Amino acid sequence: MVRIKTILIAVLVVILGILAATYLLESEEKKVKKQFDLLSKWVSKDLGESPITMASKAKNIGTLFAESCELKVPVDSTSATYTPAEVSGYALHGRLQFSEMSLKFYDLTVEFPEKGTAQVVLTANLKGRSMNGELIDETREVQSVLNKIDQKWLFSAFEVVEVLEK
Amino acid sequence: MGSESKIRQFFFPSLTPRFLIRVSFVALGAYLFFSNVLIPIHIKGTSMEPTYHDGTFNFCSRFSYLFSKPKRSDVVTVRFAGNKVMLLKRIVALEGEQVEFRDGKLMVEGKELEEPYVRLPCHWNLPSRQVDQGCVYVVGDNRSLPMETHHFGQTSVKRIVGVPLW
Repeated sequence: MVRIKTILIAVLVVILGILAATYLLESEEKKVKKQFDLLSKWVSKDLGESPITMASKAKNIGTLFAESCELKVPVDSTSATYTPAEVSGYALHGRLQFSEMSLKFYDLTVEFPEKGTAQVVLTANLKGRSMNGELIDETREVQSVLNKIDQKWLFSAFEVVEVLEK
Repeated sequence: MGSESKIRQFFFPSLTPRFLIRVSFVALGAYLFFSNVLIPIHIKGTSMEPTYHDGTFNFCSRFSYLFSKPKRSDVVTVRFAGNKVMLLKRIVALEGEQVEFRDGKLMVEGKELEEPYVRLPCHWNLPSRQVDQGCVYVVGDNRSLPMETHHFGQTSVKRIVGVPLW
């Protein structure tokens, strides 16, 4: 009776340990999603944000990107490659156009086609108010590729999916 | 049981295990039905005026094309981003057909299409293009909007989620 009880307790402890490890240890998928959380946090701008905070966030945005990141926007026929410094520069310039804005990511689907590469399909929603008072609320489907470099997942490609082709 | 106690029992049922199980099954059934068969949709925007109005509610019937294919003049919901953002548009041309706008008139295969649902003036001009295989050409009914601000064009049939219930 005591032996059965001991075995049951041991099994329960092992199960709880596995559950705790699964929950607490960051899976690769969670690490990838965390990068999007950081991007969302640093792109978003509150009303009355100080220039120091703005510059700091723009600099931080650059740290999320690989040495070369391709951006494709088929609707505008735009396709270009940017370095992290260029991304920071454009992020700062872009944020200056808005008095407030938020960038949120939803419905992330992460796949790992090969080791060290993550492909993510997601919904991106940009809401905000431009400096001249114009309200912006745009939602797009986006495909992104991240590469694991020095144990960090970095963005190497963004493509805005063209759903309707005129 | 008197009628008074029956009424009381109807509005204030006893929370027996049997009742709770029944409620759980009803809730689960409703969740599965409204997330997979009839999806509630909230219409935002004026691109389908006057057929569908901004701010109104409807349902997207997901199994309308179970035994048939989308056809011209069908109003369909197109998955735009993720699982939550859809476009409500009308099919005006099918795969392989030539479509163009000439002085506001929609031409399919060189002939003007009769569109009794278009009640607002249109001045669009768009050169002829062929609809790709596996795609349909969708446009909103409200063409008084500038062409640049109206989401329309060819889209894969696979992106068609369903049709509005009414």
